[in-house]
Amino acid sequence: MNILITGASSQLAQAIATELKDDHSVRLMDSAPVNVAEGCDFIQGNTLDPDDSWEAVRGIDVLIHTGEPPTDLPSDELKREQVLLDLATRGTHVLFTAAVEAGIKKFIYASTLSIFNAYTDDVYITELWKPLPSPEIVEMTKYLGELTAREFAREHLVTVTGLRLGELVLEEAVPGEAPNLAWLDIRDAAGAFRCVLNRDSSSSAWWTQRWAIYHICADIPNPKFLIDQARGIGYQPAHDFQSLYLKPSAPSG
Amino acid sequence: MKKVLVLGASGNIAPYVTPDLDQDYDLYLSDIVPHPDGKPIINVDITSYPDVLEACRGMDAIMNFTVLRDDPVVSFEVSTKGAYHVMKAAAALGIKKVVHTGPQSIRHAYDHEFDIDDVPLAPGVGYYGITKYLSMEICEIFSRTYDIQTVCFLFNGLGPKPTEAVPQGDFPPFTVVWEDLQHACRLALEIESVPGNFQSFNLLSYFAQGKYQVEKAKRILGFTPMGRLEDYFRRTTD
Repeated sequence: MNILITGASSQLAQAIATELKDDHSVRLMDSAPVNVAEGCDFIQGNTLDPDDSWEAVRGIDVLIHTGEPPTDLPSDELKREQVLLDLATRGTHVLFTAAVEAGIKKFIYASTLSIFNAYTDDVYITELWKPLPSPEIVEMTKYLGELTAREFAREHLVTVTGLRLGELVLEEAVPGEAPNLAWLDIRDAAGAFRCVLNRDSSSSAWWTQRWAIYHICADIPNPKFLIDQARGIGYQPAHDFQSLYLKPSAPSG
Repeated sequence: MKKVLVLGASGNIAPYVTPDLDQDYDLYLSDIVPHPDGKPIINVDITSYPDVLEACRGMDAIMNFTVLRDDPVVSFEVSTKGAYHVMKAAAALGIKKVVHTGPQSIRHAYDHEFDIDDVPLAPGVGYYGITKYLSMEICEIFSRTYDIQTVCFLFNGLGPKPTEAVPQGDFPPFTVVWEDLQHACRLALEIESVPGNFQSFNLLSYFAQGKYQVEKAKRILGFTPMGRLEDYFRRTTD
């Protein structure tokens, strides 16, 4: 399949490209130049620009919109917030509109599990729980992007899959840190995108089948975020942060 | 007297609402175009956060009547980013009351249903619907976090109440007359709190079709539409 991945400068986009490039034709997009993995194509463009978006989606079968911010964000805090808001809402709308017009049937949007941070840790969170995002700009705009993406599944005969990702880390990079219930190894996150690559409900008359959401995080003991639904589509995380979550055994004697 | 900033004061809604409210509230009318009746206007571009923040200083409440419907860029700038600026300013300045507005079209998926009152939003991807939908989500997020009481009114048509019988015509669905909208705005400005800090309400003045309802507005706000406007659309039976 021909796959477009946005947010090329991000670790997430590069991990997805690495995961998929041997089996698929991968094109990465970002607003600033990015060195991409060997075997991948790169297209420079801004999702806010209809012409750039149209150019990027030509010939593509699957659109993976990571929603990851570009590296050239303004340093001024207010301008940064405005750009992130614009990219998540209008940028997603422009990009998805171009993709629908280009005949793309499969869309994948990367959202975040941080929209459940408001819940205490003594509950089990599944896809049935109402998101309670805070006004923190990255968290809020990821959620607004998710809502924008969902409306395309409601209105068009396309499959849109939302992956709400945990906090992206590399397992080997967090030793000594306090365990985080939302941790997700970036390589496992990339694997989740592979799992939904073939999900196709675009001919379904029911928009509720064209849209689907999955929670993606590590498989840890006593989890807050349950990933049973993702397991149902083949998600099998390899990085379980075992050494950090398992309590040391009590000294004998 | 409560100080209330009115954003979009020269638009299609506010000029019909503020003449009633200005007897009881200290209204600060703002817009980027002159007021149709020549009233003084504070120049506030809702797409500029510094403009909005400055205009909000010292206010007790904000009424946001701004909208830009179908432009692929400006609809996001005004409806979505504008709402972000309003709520960010309210949070920064400790303003605890916001009145927001949106169109019935944000749940047009229910257009063929009946008894429609408090239903989930389902705007689709049209610029007007989705930008206002996102604005409401932003309002809810800020309201929940900063304890801002936000009342959002949803309406479609607006206009004067009929003054004479209307022959051979059904009454307009989801349409509110000015008096009912004024009444609702007063209730929104006065209510101490709403469940979850954010609530949206249908506003309409004609009910006999059984299509759209205002039970939630009656229950929570105490909205009492003037009623019997359907009588202007009666068929003669002699």
